[in-house]
Amino acid sequence: MCSGRVEPVFILNAFENGADGVLVAGCHPGDCHYRSGNQHAEKRIEKTKKLLDLLGIGSDRLRLEWISAAEGEKFASVIKDFTEKLRQKGPSPLGGELEVAPVQHNATESIRDIMKRTKALYCQECGKCSSSCPITRLDPLYSPRLAVEKALMGLQDAVLTDKGLWSCLTCYLCRQRCPLDIEYDELIRTCRAKASANGIFGNCAHEGVLFSLSRLMANPQTKQNRLDWVPQEAEIAKTGDVLYYVGCLPYFNVVFDDIGVKSIEIAQSMLKILIAAGIKPALLENERCCGHDLSFAGDMESFEKLAKVNTTAIKKSGASTVVTTCPECYRTLKTDYAQLFGEPKFEVLHASEFLTNLIENGKIKFNGKFDKKVSYQDPCRLGRHMGVYDAPRKVITSIPGVELVEMDRNRENALCCGVSAWMGCGRHSKQIQIERLTEAKSTTANLLVTACPKCQIHFNCTLCEKLPVNREEVAIETCDLSVLVARALNLTSTPNMVETIKR
Amino acid sequence: MSEKPSVLIIGGGIAGIQASLDLAGRGFQVYLLEETPTIGGRMAQLDKTFPTMDCSICILAPKMMECFRHPNIKLLTYSELKEVKGSVGNFQVKILKKPRYIDETKCTGCGVCAEHCPIEVPNEFDMGLGMRKAIYMPMPQAVPRCMTVDKDNCIDCKLCNKVCRAGAVDFQQQPQDVDLKVGAIIIATGFNLYDPSQIIEYGYGKQKNVLTALEFERWVCASGPVGGHLLRPADGGIPKKIAFIQCVGSRSLKFGAPFCSSVCCMYATKEALIIREHAPDVHVYIFYNELRAFGKGFQEFVNRAREEYGVEYIRSRPGEIREAPETKSLTIWYDDTLTREIKSLSDVDLVVLCPALVPRESNKKLAEITGVELDDCGFFKVTHPLLAPVDSTVPGIFVCGYCQSPKDIPDSVAQASAAAARAAEALAMVQTQSTGGT
Repeated sequence: MCSGRVEPVFILNAFENGADGVLVAGCHPGDCHYRSGNQHAEKRIEKTKKLLDLLGIGSDRLRLEWISAAEGEKFASVIKDFTEKLRQKGPSPLGGELEVAPVQHNATESIRDIMKRTKALYCQECGKCSSSCPITRLDPLYSPRLAVEKALMGLQDAVLTDKGLWSCLTCYLCRQRCPLDIEYDELIRTCRAKASANGIFGNCAHEGVLFSLSRLMANPQTKQNRLDWVPQEAEIAKTGDVLYYVGCLPYFNVVFDDIGVKSIEIAQSMLKILIAAGIKPALLENERCCGHDLSFAGDMESFEKLAKVNTTAIKKSGASTVVTTCPECYRTLKTDYAQLFGEPKFEVLHASEFLTNLIENGKIKFNGKFDKKVSYQDPCRLGRHMGVYDAPRKVITSIPGVELVEMDRNRENALCCGVSAWMGCGRHSKQIQIERLTEAKSTTANLLVTACPKCQIHFNCTLCEKLPVNREEVAIETCDLSVLVARALNLTSTPNMVETIKR
Repeated sequence: MSEKPSVLIIGGGIAGIQASLDLAGRGFQVYLLEETPTIGGRMAQLDKTFPTMDCSICILAPKMMECFRHPNIKLLTYSELKEVKGSVGNFQVKILKKPRYIDETKCTGCGVCAEHCPIEVPNEFDMGLGMRKAIYMPMPQAVPRCMTVDKDNCIDCKLCNKVCRAGAVDFQQQPQDVDLKVGAIIIATGFNLYDPSQIIEYGYGKQKNVLTALEFERWVCASGPVGGHLLRPADGGIPKKIAFIQCVGSRSLKFGAPFCSSVCCMYATKEALIIREHAPDVHVYIFYNELRAFGKGFQEFVNRAREEYGVEYIRSRPGEIREAPETKSLTIWYDDTLTREIKSLSDVDLVVLCPALVPRESNKKLAEITGVELDDCGFFKVTHPLLAPVDSTVPGIFVCGYCQSPKDIPDSVAQASAAAARAAEALAMVQTQSTGGT
């Protein structure tokens, strides 16, 4: 295989499966049969090394060497040297499995029971869900109504093997509008878990690298180096009243570096705001992914492992308030963990809610004017899933000089950013993103604020690509809510707003 | 017995009117209580009725007048029930008669006062689509034919007093307590409309060309706000495409009501026919969920709508209605569930939402006052749904019409007669007991 084809996920998978080191050997620069394969390999390896450092596995366990087919001697010596180095380092820090009792595995639940639990048995087949679904409008092969219809007919195999099962965005628009309140999001999640248990998996975006990272974090032996982004002068604590749950931002920062999104600036901004408000926030040294994406991809086992270690760590920190900048963490910590372990002893607040409190209590004050015309993208997890619509708008409109112009479809009617839980990103996702960006642009706003790191990633990804429409109709700066606030407070001078990259 | 046995009837809609006429005809004294200034109820607001396509007010008004003129019926309009004590055969009732600031015995209903009144407010009878004055008669056929001063909006300019040649305006009027002794009570409070603005994807309240069905009845009615012309509400333009959406809040576990309102499929068909009769070139679509044409002549009525009038029925509950900002025309997104295609119907000039018809919120207060029970949906409970469909949970109190369960006009009328018969029976039994038998 060409070294350029070696995705970060291949390497991560090797470590997941117990490898102590990975050697990637490619053709010498200039010798590539495909012209630039090895150049790509170099970039990818560099990225993967950063991920391995974050995960605490260590970048020295991955090596890239240029060895041609004629260099047998070099090959032998490299292998010898690498194995020797690895022997000195000792075995991979990962190993051993965390014992978790399967808490709420629904893989054994019958389709009929699932339908009963999610109220799908009440379906009147009216088509309100399917005519609302952003995917069904583009891809008639998938429709929430047809999925329920198949299940109603008892066609379990048809439900589980349906490719559409993995197309659903779980954006909650169908559930929002369903007169019977059928829990499509839960239905899809459970069916995916059931399908996975039967060896059926969907496509995942980025070859599943983000799932692999989450699974590696689910390993109890993993000791991450995830706090390098914290400025030295910043006062943080291991325990404290307010815990900032960072989520996967350090990883996104590496993975999505090439589309110009600096996700870590969201965390840096939030930290600066907290400190400016006189709070000494606690950060978890070995915080894990919340497990949202794995749970929506059907991997309930890893999800439960993550839930368990995170809950224990949060409890240990003594925090009474947990702040998240990611709506998916917010939903997961607040409702999904509660479903597994009962009501938590800590309150979970999304950044927008926490910032609203800070503003209302006068803990942070904006000085001067910050002239921007902004529009706001309701993240589906924050809005429809959790019902938080007002808080982010309050934050935006409390910044002097900022004018909020709403998109045609907003709040409960908002259009999803096109991808969720890193489940497949294809033609339809791109079409949805272009549709949404066009809508944002037509508000005449010059900044699109989101309250979800993933919305920002998805929009920018599309803007980096060759577009089927005139760039002027869609190109808009994007910015996370926390970054906007930090900028308005003059806490950050870095150009955190993502300019649209032209390729 | 020296006194005539008497009955209180709560609600002056078609059910209350029918029960009153039945009992009055049998010689009982009837008190007909109505909270608004006129009897007539919902039926008076309708343009036509299904499946006969009668003009609604034309068949109702004679009954309203009969109530007014009947020696055994006393109308207590613009009044509220305050208290009920006692039991079957001997209920003591307190009623508050709100001041109209008009002497009912003097007012001729000429309307000159309203012509001079400077204050205009939305007319409740026209579902707020038209305007009325602060001194007003809700509709031309109001019974009693008498003006009412809406004190909340009145500016006390007393112009009405100056121009009234009958000297009927009386700003000194006070709320009046009315004490009654009745042997039986019939409740017929009808229904209200679920407010579809909660179903935000349909944009009711924001998109001007989206109306509710009752608004549409007033909109196309000759006595309505635009004189019965078929127009686009947003700009008065001539519509070419009109769509009805069924089950807006009906049969829903989240918004509105869990039950089927039972009349929407048919009245939408009727309204579709009204449109085609007004303007044969208008395309009419009915988005239905299950077409419930269960009554006598109903399916035939739907067949006629399809065959003779070319009304298009589409089996779907649309996902959303979006307005084009410039033209105010609407696009309906729907899943044609029979062909399984996701489609959109664009350039729709008017969308009529058929909202859930729900028991009145005020039933709760009424239940508290009278001691009768309500079911989970707010309908009045009966002692047996099959064998005692009009007997409330309190002996001597009967229920009929929509407030008992969803039903149309003929069923309400039939049930009103049933309630009247049961009330008469209760009174007869009490009489027999008090005289020691015959």
